[in-house]
Amino acid sequence: MSKRSGAALAIPAWAWLLIFFVAPVAMVIWFSFGYKPGIFGTHANDVLSFDRYAEAMSPTFFATFQNTLWVGIAGTLLCLVVGLPVAYWMAVKASPARRGLLVALVMVPFWTNFLVRTIGWQVILAPEGWLSTTLQQVGLIGGPLDILYTRGAVLLGVVYNYLPLMILPLFVAFDRVGPPLREASKDLGAGKWTTFFRVTLPLARPGVVAGVLLVFIPLMGDYITATVLGGAKGNMVGQLVASQFQTAQNWALGSAMAVLLIIVIMLTVAVGALVVWLVTLPFRSRNRLVIGDAANAAPARPVTTAIAAIRSRPAPADEEVSA
Amino acid sequence: MTSAATIESKPTTSTTGEAPGTVVVDAVTKRYGNATAVDGMSLTIEAGEFISLLGPSGCGKTTTLRMIAGFEQPDAGDIRVSGRSVLGVPPYRRDVNTVFQAYALFPHMSVAENVAYGLQQRRTPRSEVRDRVVEALDLVQMRRFADRKPTQLSGGQQQRIALARALVNRPSVLLLDEPLGALDRQLREEMQLELKLLQSRLGITFVFVTHDQGEALSMSDRIAIMRDGRIEQLADADTVYARPASAYVAAFVGQQNFFRGEVAEGGAAVASTHALVRGTAPELAGLANGQAAVRPEFVEIAAARSDASAEVNLARGTLLGVSHLGETMQYLVRLGDDQSLIVRRPTPEAPNLTVGDPVECSWRAESVLLFPADDAASAGGYVAPPTA
Repeated sequence: MSKRSGAALAIPAWAWLLIFFVAPVAMVIWFSFGYKPGIFGTHANDVLSFDRYAEAMSPTFFATFQNTLWVGIAGTLLCLVVGLPVAYWMAVKASPARRGLLVALVMVPFWTNFLVRTIGWQVILAPEGWLSTTLQQVGLIGGPLDILYTRGAVLLGVVYNYLPLMILPLFVAFDRVGPPLREASKDLGAGKWTTFFRVTLPLARPGVVAGVLLVFIPLMGDYITATVLGGAKGNMVGQLVASQFQTAQNWALGSAMAVLLIIVIMLTVAVGALVVWLVTLPFRSRNRLVIGDAANAAPARPVTTAIAAIRSRPAPADEEVSA
Repeated sequence: MTSAATIESKPTTSTTGEAPGTVVVDAVTKRYGNATAVDGMSLTIEAGEFISLLGPSGCGKTTTLRMIAGFEQPDAGDIRVSGRSVLGVPPYRRDVNTVFQAYALFPHMSVAENVAYGLQQRRTPRSEVRDRVVEALDLVQMRRFADRKPTQLSGGQQQRIALARALVNRPSVLLLDEPLGALDRQLREEMQLELKLLQSRLGITFVFVTHDQGEALSMSDRIAIMRDGRIEQLADADTVYARPASAYVAAFVGQQNFFRGEVAEGGAAVASTHALVRGTAPELAGLANGQAAVRPEFVEIAAARSDASAEVNLARGTLLGVSHLGETMQYLVRLGDDQSLIVRRPTPEAPNLTVGDPVECSWRAESVLLFPADDAASAGGYVAPPTA
């Protein structure tokens, strides 16, 4: 296939990216430099300034941003900690015949509307809800359950809503590593944990990255989970952005907040990657082994002539002629 | 000092008087659900021996290897390596290493890191790791590829790395699970020679699993031909080829032309529809039915003479086809609706015959093998699957 026809095949993908990703983001960035012209206007760009950014970075906004980052990072880590063993068990320990069923079960929550199932948790966790009364009757807790509208409830909702997005890419990644490499590792003297950390996990890294991004990025923009289960403590940036667009009709300020959110997400991902890289550096350098360029190294020790004889094939005919 | 000198089996203490490197499979049974993969199999592999487990897929050879490696646990019986039972011992605590069928090299590590992996698990000092990795790579002549990733290597090169990665640990026993299966023919034959040389130089016990009889014949000190989870015959290559213990072994090692019919001449011959096949001794005395086997390379072929009369160890038919196999010519002769005969002659002395002509095939009584009829191993065909 020629290079040109190959590029032509990519046109739909590029068009899709342009229309649904580049254009909206460009518009948001453009709006963020404008202002709200009056009560009935949403945005105007005849005068450009950074004023909306200054306006966005109010103490309230910082507090909300902090809360959003906390929920985003803690929620993602929790999903990773819970999802990793589940995905590993599904891909490695569970019988292959059951895997399809297990994947389907992981997907079951997605069959219900996001808001509805979050409100479902609100009902369960309420101080006068059935979980609270049951626990009190059994005698496990003294008073009514005091978990709704706390960060604990928010994290519970986050893990519930986002866990499948973590488990599925991890499952695929673990599954792709396959049993032979794990067996080779054990054959070479490595126990279960060493095999996991030196073979299975490094090879499943793309799945870990995919899972973390799939959870972290939507979570940073989500405010339903946090509002429904966190109440006043569940203020998220997404909520502020939405209210600027929908309630206040100030698209310029909403855009500035959205751009700040995008920047924070990118920075957090970069910092997270750097931290992981730094933390694993000692382990990676410990197992690193570079022999060096064979041309510069000392000549190989003589091997048995019998083997050397087998290896030295007759020279090609044209070389004999030239010699 | 050659690089081979330090990669050799290390002495270990034995509790049963079995030498280090000895593998004893003692009445081992392994079942998967209702299927019995290995059925009460016993096998003693001497230290420093090159033994092949040969058989078709599903005969239990790979299961046996995996039980020695520790990836499967036997349901009954005992396995001893260097005199000690390894029942319940996980693979990472066994003094055996495996060369896997698809090599199973770690794709995220360099060649050198792959080879170093086993040493690092044994807490070998860093400087020693480096020396031994270089040594092992020299052994398989792959040192200049040390810093490449396995995916950048050809199949044959990956195979050498897999070998180095196992040998660098100086195991008492090396298990090889069809390691040459993925290589092309020329490379495979070259590796066969190299493997045999390595093994005799290092003195490590090699247990080699294969379905390729040529591989088994060319390398092994002894061959265990397996069938349905049991050993059908355990002998050296010459014996297996010349005196197969059963029709199954005869059919699996090399090719055979089988003639089935009533036993005649007091047990020394089989009277089939197309020929009276006589052996040298009355091996089938007392039996009603039997089968006789003649290898294609022991059959002579010539244009049919006009004065045809019934003779012993001679069959007449029509030449169906001739094919050139390189060093030999192969003739396919149709004796009747239910039987064909394969004849193979060395190319220089191969007769020039025309396809469709009547021919006669003959053989000497010394090349006839006689087996009882109830041995159903060769059922389904007059001849074993052709060699690659």
